[in-house]
Amino acid sequence: MTELSSPTPRWISCPECEAACREVPLPPRAVLHCRRCGVVVRKSTRPTSLQPAWALATAGLLLMVMANVTPIMSFDVAGNTQTNLIGTGVITLYKQGYWPVAGLVFFSAIAAPALYLATVWYVVAACCLARPWPGLHRMLTWAEILESWNLVPVFALATLVSVVKLDTLGTVTWHHGAIWLAVLSICAFLTSQLFDHRMVEERLEELA
Amino acid sequence: MNSPPPIPSSDHLRLQTCRALVIAGIILYVPANVIPVMTMTVVGRVEPLTVLGGVEELYHSGLPVIAGIVFLASIVVPFCKLATLSWLLIMHGSTECQQQRATARRIVHLIGSWSMVDIFLLSVLAAVGQLGVLASVVAKPGAFFFAAVLVCTIFASESYKPRMIWQTREPLET
Repeated sequence: MTELSSPTPRWISCPECEAACREVPLPPRAVLHCRRCGVVVRKSTRPTSLQPAWALATAGLLLMVMANVTPIMSFDVAGNTQTNLIGTGVITLYKQGYWPVAGLVFFSAIAAPALYLATVWYVVAACCLARPWPGLHRMLTWAEILESWNLVPVFALATLVSVVKLDTLGTVTWHHGAIWLAVLSICAFLTSQLFDHRMVEERLEELA
Repeated sequence: MNSPPPIPSSDHLRLQTCRALVIAGIILYVPANVIPVMTMTVVGRVEPLTVLGGVEELYHSGLPVIAGIVFLASIVVPFCKLATLSWLLIMHGSTECQQQRATARRIVHLIGSWSMVDIFLLSVLAAVGQLGVLASVVAKPGAFFFAAVLVCTIFASESYKPRMIWQTREPLET
């Protein structure tokens, strides 16, 4: 990995199909596509671009707490009111005997996004601060696995659909939790977009 | 590059896992769409709802856009995912349409997670629908099957790595 700037071509593996691609020096804003599957193999990115990911992951972790402890909405039929948190549905489904479904909802709406943001935060913070913290490579692997389970935006959509549906049956009132949930989904989405695996890997190699 | 590179033996296991999960997913897809996922009791009127029934109800309450989103996410996406994965598995090892298969896999991977919308919808409705006779939402066995289909498709698409599209012969048995 030391001959990055040397004139002899270096062979790199395509992140998707693992074909060997010849790495060429890229002009700014250029991308290198895999010749076999067409996916983007290399992008010329600015050296500071891990900091937005760090900021977003930090914001995301704080919002994760806020979105989980603040009520999202309340539903009112003839004076009877029921307020809900993200976790209320998990508890209700568990009580109705549907614990596998409850587990799935808990994992994909609460546990996995929180763990994803935490692993991204840990790895990116280590890169930004240039600290060789323990277990960084394992954390990076975990972040890659958890990325497809980062389903907060999907949960936000489901909340929106349910409000629209419930609005025909009773009165629905939004609470502050809905704002936290909306901002959290944007943060979680942007974090996964700005979290550049290759850049992290390069930084980790510099650290080691 | 005259001879294809050696195929790791773990890919054989991945292929088997993916086949098993796709077949399980196809079988579970039927009860997931036939058995009601929940019952909604509104002012004493009990209404069992299947996945499609929920969409229909949204459509009839004058919300065609929302109904369309839910229909796409919870019926079309799982179907497309199963169909695409079956295609990838049937075509595995051949050299035809490799580019198209890679693109299809990428699209399915990107939109796949949106099928969770119906499970989350059930969770939110069950959370607020606890007002006794006035309005109550109770999960029904269809939810098990629907959740199982989603879990099968998610793990199936995780186990079929994109590099496997480009392997032109079956991995050797170990």
